[in-house]
Amino acid sequence: MSDELIAGGADADGTLSRSPRYVFTPPIDIYETEDGLGLMADLPGVTPETLDLEVQDNKLTLYGRVAPYVPAEARLIHREYEIGDYLRSFILSEDVDHDRITARLSDGVLTVELPRSERSKPRKIRIETG
Amino acid sequence: MAVFRWGHSWPEFRDLEREVDRLLQTMNATFQGFRIGRLFPPINVYELDDEYLLTAEVPGVAAEDLELTVADGILTLKGCRENPQNVPEEAYRRRERATGYWERSIDLPERVEDDKLRAVLNNGVLVVHLPKAEAAIPRRVPIAVGNGSSDSGSARRIDVGAEHAPREERDAENGDGPSEAGQPPV
Repeated sequence: MSDELIAGGADADGTLSRSPRYVFTPPIDIYETEDGLGLMADLPGVTPETLDLEVQDNKLTLYGRVAPYVPAEARLIHREYEIGDYLRSFILSEDVDHDRITARLSDGVLTVELPRSERSKPRKIRIETG
Repeated sequence: MAVFRWGHSWPEFRDLEREVDRLLQTMNATFQGFRIGRLFPPINVYELDDEYLLTAEVPGVAAEDLELTVADGILTLKGCRENPQNVPEEAYRRRERATGYWERSIDLPERVEDDKLRAVLNNGVLVVHLPKAEAAIPRRVPIAVGNGSSDSGSARRIDVGAEHAPREERDAENGDGPSEAGQPPV
């Protein structure tokens, strides 16, 4: 393996980038819902087109890119935050029904519903009298 | 008065009282002190030729929950981020996102036309356009070049073609000079 490939610094999609891109771990909330679990992540600047949400095996991965919203010629004169991409993965428990996962992105917040699969929902077991 | 509830992974920090940031004027000095705490929302400021851009990351804040006011040269951003689904406290397994009311005030420099501000909220990012006052926009001053060898003496732009002729003249003079000087005395 040649070193140039590594030193060249390629983006996730394989394109070479001149300037380094920041990758952030977005803050999240995870909460229980009636139907399973809910997840919210702050992804300011990410649009539905620039967000990838993927479930593979037991791993849920979110990867959001921020499209530039300031003209390239603008000079930064004060900085409290960096602009970059967001990446975070979660291991889903066996209970989550992968096929029924839904997600929506609004105002820069991603909400993912992770419904419990039917068989892991509490079931009332009828007790028969013997 | 901003009251934040922070999740377990964030250090608890007290209410962000109204802070008046001399943002555009003495920016670096003012903000160094705040770096330790995490301000909400974080703000960047950019400069263009005719305006400043103030950008703020406000994910989860709807336009109707956001208030921008300008008074006496102070821009105030106010907003609130509520838990939209009314999830009860005990339902949270992990909590890293802040909720509550926040407010930040920024001193605008006099060179901003504060009656012409406009703001756009998109995907959780607020962009406030702060047009520079006319006097603050750098104006290109035409520089007149006086050509010393020009007979007219009027200021004019020198282009390559115009420059060529005088140089030939000069070369010709120079060529004459040494030959004259080099002429053996009769």
